[in-house]
Amino acid sequence: MLAPERSPQHRELASEIVRFTRRSARRYKRSRVSWGTRLVDAYSWGLGIGVSLTIAASFVLALRNEIANRATTTGSIIGEQWLVLPEPVLWTSMTFAALVVINNLARKLGPMSVNGAESTWWLTLPVDRRPMVLPPFIRKVALTAVGSAVIYLPFSMVTAVDRAPLEHLLASLTFGVAGAVAVVPAAVQQFALQGPRFGKTITAALLLACSVLPAFSSSPWPTALVAVAVVGLFAMVVPRAGQVRGDELVRGGAVAGHAGASLFMMDSNEVLRALGGNRKAVDGGRAARFYARPSRGPLRALIRADLVAFVRLNPPLMPPILWLLACISTLLVEGGLPEFAQLAVIVIAGCATASGLGGVARKTALVPELDAMLPLHQALVRTSRTLMPCLAMSAWMAVLCGLLVLLGAADPWLMGVGALAGVGMGAGTLRAATRIPPDWTAPPVETPFGPVPRAQLGSLMRGLDVTILAMVPLLVALYLGYVPISVVAVQVVFSAGIFLLVVLTRPQRI
Amino acid sequence: MGTVLEAEGLWVGYAGVPVCGEVSASVKAGEVLGIVGVNGAGKSTVAKTIAGRQTALAGDVKVHGLLIDPDAVPFRRQVSAVFDDDLFFPSLTVREHLLLIARGHSLEDPEARVEEELEFFGLLGRVHAIPDALSSGQRRRLLLAAGLIRPSSLLILDEPEQRLDPRMRVALGERIAAHAQDGGAVVLVTHDPELLLATASTCLVIDEEVREFDPEQGASIIAGS
Repeated sequence: MLAPERSPQHRELASEIVRFTRRSARRYKRSRVSWGTRLVDAYSWGLGIGVSLTIAASFVLALRNEIANRATTTGSIIGEQWLVLPEPVLWTSMTFAALVVINNLARKLGPMSVNGAESTWWLTLPVDRRPMVLPPFIRKVALTAVGSAVIYLPFSMVTAVDRAPLEHLLASLTFGVAGAVAVVPAAVQQFALQGPRFGKTITAALLLACSVLPAFSSSPWPTALVAVAVVGLFAMVVPRAGQVRGDELVRGGAVAGHAGASLFMMDSNEVLRALGGNRKAVDGGRAARFYARPSRGPLRALIRADLVAFVRLNPPLMPPILWLLACISTLLVEGGLPEFAQLAVIVIAGCATASGLGGVARKTALVPELDAMLPLHQALVRTSRTLMPCLAMSAWMAVLCGLLVLLGAADPWLMGVGALAGVGMGAGTLRAATRIPPDWTAPPVETPFGPVPRAQLGSLMRGLDVTILAMVPLLVALYLGYVPISVVAVQVVFSAGIFLLVVLTRPQRI
Repeated sequence: MGTVLEAEGLWVGYAGVPVCGEVSASVKAGEVLGIVGVNGAGKSTVAKTIAGRQTALAGDVKVHGLLIDPDAVPFRRQVSAVFDDDLFFPSLTVREHLLLIARGHSLEDPEARVEEELEFFGLLGRVHAIPDALSSGQRRRLLLAAGLIRPSSLLILDEPEQRLDPRMRVALGERIAAHAQDGGAVVLVTHDPELLLATASTCLVIDEEVREFDPEQGASIIAGS
């Protein structure tokens, strides 16, 4: 068929359609919301943002002072640093990782996309699609730039304590524009101008260059350089915006809609599911021979089924490896982070790794009737469901602790403690998978951050609570620098207790 | 009458697995091709593939002699497809939804055309209602009105009778027949033997093997006799 028409009349018609839709929607919303409600909303938002910023600023300043005075603190949780990472290398790597994450998210969410209604009512019209997709795309890029700049400011203050305030501002501005640079190549990939591998390589090179620039904050030229890059990318994208295929626009919109709704419902499991949507999710042929083998008894059959389901869902391998590297790199940084910051990194890495392993539990929790049909006690069903996450987390924690032992963090018993902690952390994935959504019909609770649904905090912490709890004895051993027998005993009690708590607790209906 | 739609050696399905046998069909201007089959036979998949919403596993689909491309403006101008997409702008009223389509297709006097469709589909009393305030049958009527208000040389309807009351089904049948008489081609996926008999000129029965019947035989197959 012919190429899309891009005559001025068709573009004007498309702009008129977009304006008509927006104007009608605005008129409807205005008719529904009174000025009083708007003022109350603005007040709640202002208060929430103000309180959050105050808390974040105090935390950042306290951490900055702690790091500035670290020469006088007691040092690191590892004994000796036979390999020292220069600070700039680590911070540049982290900046690069952040830009890669922004690019990856942008790729998953579009960045050029349409929502469900737009796909049905706009995409079918015989008009140039540019006015339909370009304004939201530019809005996304601008928001990413502003958000990246705001987030980078505390990072700059904590990691470069010797910078002047103006330099911090310039560095965050540079990173903000670099954030925009990370989004636009995702749009270029939507045109499929180059092969996927070539596109990724070019993007990685561009992001690597951008990640170095915020460090040179003493002059404005790095900011100017990334600004030129973003303008160049825009010049490539804007004229072609109407050429992105409809199914690609719909795909991005569907992922963004799912992720947005999950964020609104404050359900991290669903956010992960939404973002993993375009990953090759199920490999139906994997372990087919193992699954087909006859088994004795329903429990063995169920364990085999759960094992195969876990393998077939392709649990992502790269994030656990990257978190492992992140843990070790932060320990090896020149000068050393404060001990509590090192322990915090390990806790965050552990929670992040565990959160990716609850796929089977989540999917089965959505249809609890299937489990109820099995001729087994529910505790046995939940035990079977927890086995693979427990094994995976045990292995990951054992590897992490093995590396820490090599770095002189504690004696080799630490690996055993880590493996035991992994059992409790794996059990946490089942608890998180059966998280109940907030009750939106109940009156919300007023907090300094604004009204939140009742029992929301409890719901958000479900799963995360036991994952962190399972790590407490291990963290104590790391802090002490050796593994007392009492810590091993407490770790056994914690992990066994958490496991039993999870498998014996009747899951909430979701 | 020229051929509007041609499907040659078409295989449709998901993840490389076909859901039904090979489909070969052609629809000329003024003809209505009925597609029938049991649940899960692959009728909607065939319709979606013809409408360009899904990629064919093998084979070609041509509209006016050109391979289909749902992103090409001429295709969007020629082909109107109504599936069971319950997707609406939450803040736009019934009238505004139809005005959007009428203006997007550059209809002359769009307001008057919208009024006509609202009257035909019995939505005049709900012109200022947003989609959430409509019943499921009224939302179905709105979707059908959007598919029929605009000009098209190929109209694809996927079980349009669903959620409609019997009177509306009869009126819809007459409308589809009128569309064909005006020189349009129609692909109609249906489970309703009466709608099929009232409109179709030929009928494809979708199964492991796809076969062509006359509408009377197709209606008997739907009725299970």
